[in-house]
Amino acid sequence: MTVQTERPDSRPAEVLKADGGERRAPRRTAAARARTTALAPYLLLFPALAATLLLLGWPLVKNGLLSFQNLNMRQLIQHLTEWNGIDNYAEVLASSEFWRVAVRSVLFTGANVVLIMIFGTLVGLLLARLGSKMRLTLLIGLVLAWAMPPIAGTTVFQWLFAQRFGVVNWVLDKLGFHSMADHNWLGTQFSTFAVVTLLIVWQSIPFVAINLYAATTTIPKELYEAASLDGAGAWTSFTSVTMPFLRPFLLATTFLEVIWVFKAFTQVFAINEGGPDRLTEILPVYAYIEGFGNQHFGMGSAIALLTIVILLALTSYYLRIVLKQEEDEL
Amino acid sequence: MSRSRSTASRLRRIWPNALATVLTLVFVFPVYWMFATAFKPTGDIISEDPVWFPLDFTFEHFQTAVTADNFWTLVRNSVTVTGLAVLFSLVIALLASFALARMRFKGRRGFIIAFMLAQMAPWEVMVIAIYMLVRDADMLNSLVPLTLFYMMMVLPFTLLTLRGFVGAIPKDLEESAMVDGCSRPQAFIKVILPLLAPGLMATSLFGFITAWNEFPMVLILNKQAEAQTLPLWISKFQTVFGDDWGATMAASSLFAIPILLLFLFLQRKAVSGLTAGAVKG
Amino acid sequence: MKRKLIAAIGAAGMLVSVAACGSDDGKSTGADGFKGQTLTVWAMDGSTPDGWSKDVKAAFEKKTGAKLKVEIQQWNGIQQKLTTALSEENPPDVFEIGNTQTPAYAQTGGLAELEDLKKSIGADWTETLNEPSVFDGKQYAAPWFAANRVVVYNKRVFKEAGVTGIPETRAELFEAFDKIKAKGKAEPVYMPGQNWYFFDGLTIGTGAELVKKKGDKWVSNLADPKVGEAMDIYKKYASYSTAPKDKDEATPQQGEVFAKGKTGAFIGMGWESGIAIKANPKIEKDIGYFTIPGDTADKPEGVFLGGSNLAVAAGSEKQELAKEFLKIALSDKFEGQLSKELGVIPNKESLQKNLQGQPAGEAAAPAVAGGGTTPLIPEWAAVENPPNPIKTYMTAVLNGKSHAAAAKQVEGEFNKRLAQKQ
Repeated sequence: MTVQTERPDSRPAEVLKADGGERRAPRRTAAARARTTALAPYLLLFPALAATLLLLGWPLVKNGLLSFQNLNMRQLIQHLTEWNGIDNYAEVLASSEFWRVAVRSVLFTGANVVLIMIFGTLVGLLLARLGSKMRLTLLIGLVLAWAMPPIAGTTVFQWLFAQRFGVVNWVLDKLGFHSMADHNWLGTQFSTFAVVTLLIVWQSIPFVAINLYAATTTIPKELYEAASLDGAGAWTSFTSVTMPFLRPFLLATTFLEVIWVFKAFTQVFAINEGGPDRLTEILPVYAYIEGFGNQHFGMGSAIALLTIVILLALTSYYLRIVLKQEEDEL
Repeated sequence: MSRSRSTASRLRRIWPNALATVLTLVFVFPVYWMFATAFKPTGDIISEDPVWFPLDFTFEHFQTAVTADNFWTLVRNSVTVTGLAVLFSLVIALLASFALARMRFKGRRGFIIAFMLAQMAPWEVMVIAIYMLVRDADMLNSLVPLTLFYMMMVLPFTLLTLRGFVGAIPKDLEESAMVDGCSRPQAFIKVILPLLAPGLMATSLFGFITAWNEFPMVLILNKQAEAQTLPLWISKFQTVFGDDWGATMAASSLFAIPILLLFLFLQRKAVSGLTAGAVKG
Repeated sequence: MKRKLIAAIGAAGMLVSVAACGSDDGKSTGADGFKGQTLTVWAMDGSTPDGWSKDVKAAFEKKTGAKLKVEIQQWNGIQQKLTTALSEENPPDVFEIGNTQTPAYAQTGGLAELEDLKKSIGADWTETLNEPSVFDGKQYAAPWFAANRVVVYNKRVFKEAGVTGIPETRAELFEAFDKIKAKGKAEPVYMPGQNWYFFDGLTIGTGAELVKKKGDKWVSNLADPKVGEAMDIYKKYASYSTAPKDKDEATPQQGEVFAKGKTGAFIGMGWESGIAIKANPKIEKDIGYFTIPGDTADKPEGVFLGGSNLAVAAGSEKQELAKEFLKIALSDKFEGQLSKELGVIPNKESLQKNLQGQPAGEAAAPAVAGGGTTPLIPEWAAVENPPNPIKTYMTAVLNGKSHAAAAKQVEGEFNKRLAQKQ
């Protein structure tokens, strides 16, 4: 019955004591009981499955069909269906632009996720260490940042980094860096990415930190006590209790962040519209400009599906871990 | 080692608080700027020397924001859609996550992978496909499809996260409750649910923020003013006749407040949930 | 169908479903058959001042017996909204549409043909304003109003620099800027690198074409020396400004910069002075307007005519009623009133007298006859989607690239957008 530990280390008690092989032994009776309600899991899963098929599966199939059509303003308005085979895919895949953007997206996602995970984890662990008042203060700060509507967040960052009346340039100037008084943060690819990254990291840390903190609260205190009885210091108890316990959360959160950062559209688009010279366009911006902005909906659908494929490739490592660790059992 | 211990321990007590203070400031500053801007007279919003504090306090922008047409209808719509979407997804996800975390059955792996894939759905670009389905089903300008799709947007995340939380709760707790004569559902409600509070908090907050902010779908599904939601209201103040940033920021500030309240509410629940769990454990 | 789906989902009772508007309308038409019908009109935010709306509504309801419902539309995402709305069973019957977008929508078949309306009420519509409504030789929309850029200037700054009298030629304007610059107290003109519609106006002035036909395809014509000529004028303007070279006039709002009182002038719409006044009420008494001067005093600079048309949805079941509305809304009486209330250019030259007493409108009107738009081809819509390659071209030139090199740089992107499938 301990199958839920597809990630064996989410049961640190046992990790400390022994390897996973012995875990199942004392639970035989419970397993027998479970067999009598063999249908239960399917019943429990039914609503989720039905919703997914109806509300996601159906639109995805529709999207798939659209991706093989020439669907622009005219066809949409007149309800015309013009099949054009794999033209959309052929056109997208043949453009060097697409590949450049795809590679850039992957790098951008990687850099952001690494930063988000490192700082998010540190903030999460810090939350767990704080006294309750300070913790609430920081939590409120994090939630405020998280709750700020993307349009407002992005606009404020735009102001902060504005060339002429930006707070950042003003502060740098006052600090003595006079050459920065009129610095154009959005003038180059790297610098634009830096601003966007700062924004995304700032917006994403709260989720990781709060989630991670929530996870640490579920670590049974006894584990730490046991560890300290075994003579473990702060570092050892961190590496032998906290980390193993958090690993599945970290993996899962990384997985989610990869997906979200990869799909980040508002921030990149609003800050500099993918500029300068389209050099900071990432896939969703590309998909938007090509598909939605220009109202070439068939093309947009094709790009959407290609986006899923790339995401699959990016997350395949994690999906493989899950596949390996989950076991189908009767 | 022992001589430096007292300094070290004092340092150990101080640095987390110092760090937390700095971090709080870093995270709050842009938010503060949003609120401050909302109170600044238009002339102070963009200025040679930043106006750090809105000395010439004005409620003018809030006035503009809340007197916009249909404001209260949009509030009601947003609350209805977001609330129901989060509620439905929590219930559905809780059932499913229990099966996935606690039970053994054929196809489990497939289900988990399926929900992980569902998490990757590029909703922003799928909007047109969804639009065509809803249009052909004659369901435009209704809150029903909106609620359902928002629920679906947050469902995979809610489900996978809750599964992690359910899985992390020691099995023994539930079993000892069952030994004490509770049925499985009873054990679930009395023992597991309180322990899940932090997890429920994190997930419902996420769901709420996602659904609350959604823009592209409601834009084309619900064109009638009476069927729209608040994100459309925020974008109202950006027009070709100049963006009214004061009003946008006032609207954004008001828009963020429910999320903050929800968090404070959940936070208290989560804390009490934790202690309840500790007593039982 | 609707009921079935709701039942299947089982949540109907819990949620508010807003009934499609106008679904209870009868379909009968005819002289007296409009009673009980409701005409839905989509107008953009800011286009319909209260007084005008009220009067038009009253006149319309009195004449036809039908009801009028004006729905104000926000700008954010309006294209997607309009495209999808036109595909629905109950599209808005009449809607406002940007003049440069009209060809693209006419080409989709979403707009009803309005030849007979043009014949009955449009004989004296201003030529440059009506042009965008004609596609493939047929009328698909009616010109409603337009606006074009003027020089908005700070009288105090000009006076302090010793500029007396209003510059009537481009050379005189630059002289004035030189004086302000020499005085050293203010930026002569605020000109960010991507005020693209001003640039478009300059190309109209030099007679340049932004696109040319190559075979059966439209391609970039930015390398044309006449475009370069227009860009040189732009560059001269920009040389008097320290504004960012890679931003347009809306980030930050040039009106807000102007409001600080340290800017001599900017090229903008008349209403942009409202932004300045809102940011700094004290500036109001210093604001003045004049026509953007051209080479000679009798020929103002070319301007981009940003305009709005009114179109009827091809899918509307109330074609006759819609035309009745257009006849009322576009009548001399209400065109004049709109022009007065909004300060916009009306669709007939004879009505421009309504702008009297509105300095911005009066400054704008002389340039209308020599104004123009962006190329009127359906393919154009895609070009202006951000990142607009012409803005990229402008920034490149201002950053020191030669015209040819800058044109070359954006040519691929420009042509790709022009070649998009329709």
